[in-house]
Amino acid sequence: MMPTLTLLDDLLAEQGSMTAVARFARLHERHELPMQARYYRDLIPLEQPADGEQYAFAVDLDACTACKACVSACHSLNGLDDEEAWRDVGVLFGGTMIEPVQQTVTTACHHCADPACMNGCPVLAYEKDAVTGIVRHLDDQCIGCQYCVLKCPYDVPKYNKKRGIVRKCDMCSSRLGAGEAPACVQACPNEAIRIEVVSKAVISARVELEDALVPGAFASDYTLPSTRYRSRKPLAANMAPGNAHDLTPEHSHFPLVVMLTLTQWAAGALCADFVMRTTRMSGQAMVMCAVGLALAGLGASAFHLGRPFGAWRAFLGLRRSWLSREIVVFGLWSNLALALAGSLFVTALPPSAPIVLAGGVAATGLLGVFCSVMVYADTRRVGWGLGRTSGRFFGTTLLLGLSMVAAFAGGVALCGAVAVVALLKLAWEATFLRLGDEPALRRSALVMRGPLRNVTMARFVAGGMGVVCALAAIFFPPLAWLALGCVALGEFSERYLFFTAVTAPRMPGRIL
Amino acid sequence: MKKLIPPIRAWTGPLTNDLVQHPGDFGLGRVPARLKPDDTTSMVCGFCSTGCGLNVHLKNGQAINLTPDPNYPVNLGMACPKGWEALTPLDALDRATTPLLRDGSGMLVPVDWETALQTFTLRMKAIMHEHGPESVAWLGTGQMPTEEMALLGAVAKFGMGIRHGDANTRQCMATAATAYKQSFGFDAPPFTYQDFEESDVLVFVGSNLCIAHPIMWQRVLRNKHKPEIIVIDPRKTETAMAATQHYALKPKSDLTLLYGVANLLLARGWIDRGYIERHTTGFDEFEALVAEFPPERVAAASGLPVAQIERLAETIGRGKRVSFWWTMGVNQGHEATRTAQAIINLALMTGNMGRPGTGANSITGQCNAMGSRIFSNTTGLFGGRDFLKQEHRAEVARVLGIGEHNIPTDNSLAYDQIVAGIGSGKIKGLWVIATNTSHSWIDQGTFNDLAKKLDFLVVQDMYHTTETAQRAHLVLPAAGWGEKEGTFINSERRFGLLKKVSRAPGQALADFHIFTLIAHYWGCGEMFRAWSSPEAVFQIMKELSRGRPCDISGIENYRMLDEKGGIQWPWRADDTELQTERRLFEDGVYFHPNGKAKFICEEPREMPEPVDSEFPFLLLTGRGSSAQWHTETRTGKSGVLRKLSPARIYVEVNFEDAERLGVAPGSTVRVASRRGALEATAFLTNTVQAGQVFIPMHYAQTNVLTHPSFDPYSRQPAYKACAVAVQKL
Repeated sequence: MMPTLTLLDDLLAEQGSMTAVARFARLHERHELPMQARYYRDLIPLEQPADGEQYAFAVDLDACTACKACVSACHSLNGLDDEEAWRDVGVLFGGTMIEPVQQTVTTACHHCADPACMNGCPVLAYEKDAVTGIVRHLDDQCIGCQYCVLKCPYDVPKYNKKRGIVRKCDMCSSRLGAGEAPACVQACPNEAIRIEVVSKAVISARVELEDALVPGAFASDYTLPSTRYRSRKPLAANMAPGNAHDLTPEHSHFPLVVMLTLTQWAAGALCADFVMRTTRMSGQAMVMCAVGLALAGLGASAFHLGRPFGAWRAFLGLRRSWLSREIVVFGLWSNLALALAGSLFVTALPPSAPIVLAGGVAATGLLGVFCSVMVYADTRRVGWGLGRTSGRFFGTTLLLGLSMVAAFAGGVALCGAVAVVALLKLAWEATFLRLGDEPALRRSALVMRGPLRNVTMARFVAGGMGVVCALAAIFFPPLAWLALGCVALGEFSERYLFFTAVTAPRMPGRIL
Repeated sequence: MKKLIPPIRAWTGPLTNDLVQHPGDFGLGRVPARLKPDDTTSMVCGFCSTGCGLNVHLKNGQAINLTPDPNYPVNLGMACPKGWEALTPLDALDRATTPLLRDGSGMLVPVDWETALQTFTLRMKAIMHEHGPESVAWLGTGQMPTEEMALLGAVAKFGMGIRHGDANTRQCMATAATAYKQSFGFDAPPFTYQDFEESDVLVFVGSNLCIAHPIMWQRVLRNKHKPEIIVIDPRKTETAMAATQHYALKPKSDLTLLYGVANLLLARGWIDRGYIERHTTGFDEFEALVAEFPPERVAAASGLPVAQIERLAETIGRGKRVSFWWTMGVNQGHEATRTAQAIINLALMTGNMGRPGTGANSITGQCNAMGSRIFSNTTGLFGGRDFLKQEHRAEVARVLGIGEHNIPTDNSLAYDQIVAGIGSGKIKGLWVIATNTSHSWIDQGTFNDLAKKLDFLVVQDMYHTTETAQRAHLVLPAAGWGEKEGTFINSERRFGLLKKVSRAPGQALADFHIFTLIAHYWGCGEMFRAWSSPEAVFQIMKELSRGRPCDISGIENYRMLDEKGGIQWPWRADDTELQTERRLFEDGVYFHPNGKAKFICEEPREMPEPVDSEFPFLLLTGRGSSAQWHTETRTGKSGVLRKLSPARIYVEVNFEDAERLGVAPGSTVRVASRRGALEATAFLTNTVQAGQVFIPMHYAQTNVLTHPSFDPYSRQPAYKACAVAVQKL
């Protein structure tokens, strides 16, 4: 037995020893220049951009034939996490039965002249480099709010859950700075990707000539993307992305579902409180509840942040970001609401003080809801347009405010009003399920009727129950509480659908 | 104090630092700072047969990252996604780290190597004792280094007395090997990759080079001669899109089309009579046969208009340097060998051989398909020899210093015959090495049923989770690419070097070591005393090749391969002035005894399973994306690769068919053949023709459907056409 064990042990030991370095001389002496440089030398500009110019990706679509090496290279050369890559490859299909056409499209950050990500960031975690025009993300500044993910129409910033921040392509700025090509440029076997210098005037002019970078991409006039896609063969007019029929729901951003519903509920209730206070009808209980809801809603939003401890920086983006404005206004609102709640217990104050305070709370609350509307309307997603979003958000504010008063104060008129408003909102939302011609809205409808069928059902059932209970409460007032519960449940589901059923614009994706 | 107050804007910090890059040295350019190597070494990739060089970044002797090798003559600093991700699958959590033995309750439980090897030997010997030497077989691979294949072939056949062994190369390259052997007198792909750059006409038959071999496509794009690029493929593939001419023929009409082209070349006088006379035989029979293929007949069979067929022939006929390339669309057909030879015939009759930018060129599948063809000692004897020939057996016996009686006098059964042998009860013990039969074998359901009949199924693999390993009685944990040494031979006959740059997990051992141990436990270890290391085996291989067309006696050692960037066979001991790129037959002398190439042709046959009213669609299978490799045992382990292709099985259906069937885009459909059924997401497209559907081969269910038919000469399975029904769910 002994020799047997010895051989096995020998081989196990041999397997464990690393031999490549010892057995083979180092063939690669220290090089001044990267050895790869000879393949990419012509693919990067010799000089830095001048005033009014920036770097940009230029993609030769004729040479892009779906090898996807650029994606792997981005991952490996940037040392990214498991599935992380800042470049992606999609595909367009079109043409006729006789002459089918498919075109793969490699895509990364377009380093826009007017970057939506940067404009939306509440903490100024983005900067557009003054010289290169590269849109850089400051990882340590990021609070993980993911608003840039919603703002970018090309799906470029990617949330990294492990780290609690967003990360994105920086055109390998450190490589470019050292005269090296970005990873994707280095890795393309077909030389399909290059870096060029482009003037901002040209970027703006291009928008006039072409609606979008490629078929299926978002309208370029939103962010002025700098990437140029060129092809000798013009793409067929009917080209559609490989994922055109993908009905995968979007991320629910659940803390935001909670935040939006509760803040609007509270804002509505506090507005109602103000109206009633002027008629000396309001009491303490509803205000306390509403303030509690407001605080809970704002608290929930913190759970949406990957790095909530940086949230104090949120005022930095006030000049451009509706998210900053929302945070600041709701911050003020919550403090005023707390003051209002406190004022109800201080008998020494003049009787007008709570009314003034309540007026302030109501006004800032409505302003906050308006900011919420703008946060989403500003993303330019079709399903989040100003009309639809304000209808939903102010509708929720009105409906839950009324329902709250109906529950606390009762009354035929209030219960009737709840039923009418609830019914109108449901009827309006039912039109979202229509399969119209507008592609983004059509897809949303398909998502709500398909993969999100159950949530859609819940939304309408809960809302319908709310109507029924509100009507019944006319005759049996305690049912107003049940109506409030049903309406609230319906609004939560509505807000869940708001996030999950929206069509997020992105560059053409992979098939299915 | 400053430290306590956070900055208004944080320009630096731990998250920023995580992505900071530093010069990598070693000619690498900038690399992520935390992945800065302290050394680098170059080795060939272990996925496909392109054989790219990868520059592995090392820290303390262990691989931490890699980049394509800028100096390797094959890939010129580029790699496909699989190559970039080659190290990732080594770290997978489902690596086999210890031998596993199925216990009484049917569970695979960890055992030590001693137990595993004793069990292997006892049970295999018992089977062979009871049922004879033909009752045990092995199924090997094109993914192992040549030295391991050679050791396996020698140990199994000469030491253990196993008669039958084949490999998954049967599924990819058997046709090309057979076609070359019959036409040229030796299995000898004549080309070098430089030919992609030298042609003025490139003809791709059944080859989706852009995604199957992206680094070869790179060479096509480097062609400065504004070449005509012709793609012959039923689908509008990525390559068809990039071509200048695409011929979307009916599936399996390729042989007829190629004969039709020959007919037109003859009729128009676009042939090289001088070359035919000096360097070929059999032309008269060929001429007589192709006379039966006028354009009208070919148009009817292929679905292509006569004018298109004429244009194809004219482009080939007027080309000065025409190269022909084929891949699995040809090799995996029911008359594959004759189809490959029809391509060879076109090259021969037009004199497009032996010159830059010419050739009838088979693009191989697996990284070491050619190693298997020459040195696996399975269906052919070492060095491209024949078990049936006494003089070949004597040569091998002499080189190896073994008795001639140790060498079987019969050829091994082919893969499909081994599978059939399980069915007939002839094969009782099966040893599967680095392949995934339960997934990849044609009509997998039949194999998986038959596998239950086996008395003993051993699977030797990197992962214990493959479909086949899950059915095994014994699993032997193997070290993979990057965890051992050896050589691969790529499509252009280039020997490339593998190095050990990563530590195999747990008790996993190089296949080389496993074969050594099995020989030892079997009691024939003494016979292989000289086969002590991969490089020692390489020296033996050199001797086995001496005087053969694949002579590599001039390659001194691994160090020489490393320094020269790989070396193409032949490289004889007396050869001088080694050139990086060399092609065969520049002198017009072929390997048949008369020095001539042979025209071989045969009347086309109907496809084995045509469509009918019950199964009205023809199923095509093939590669889905550049990020997937075969049964995905490795590529499925990389997050980046996984996201580059759909996770769920899908079927491409033509719009018109979908409309007729009421199939909505993205909906689930049932695809059924006479052998089984699967459910898949429907992707509606015009890139497959009406009446055809396409499913990528990488999904575990695909081969439930395929029809077990085989080319009669190469025994290669015909994966590319079977009849199915598609049903809306």
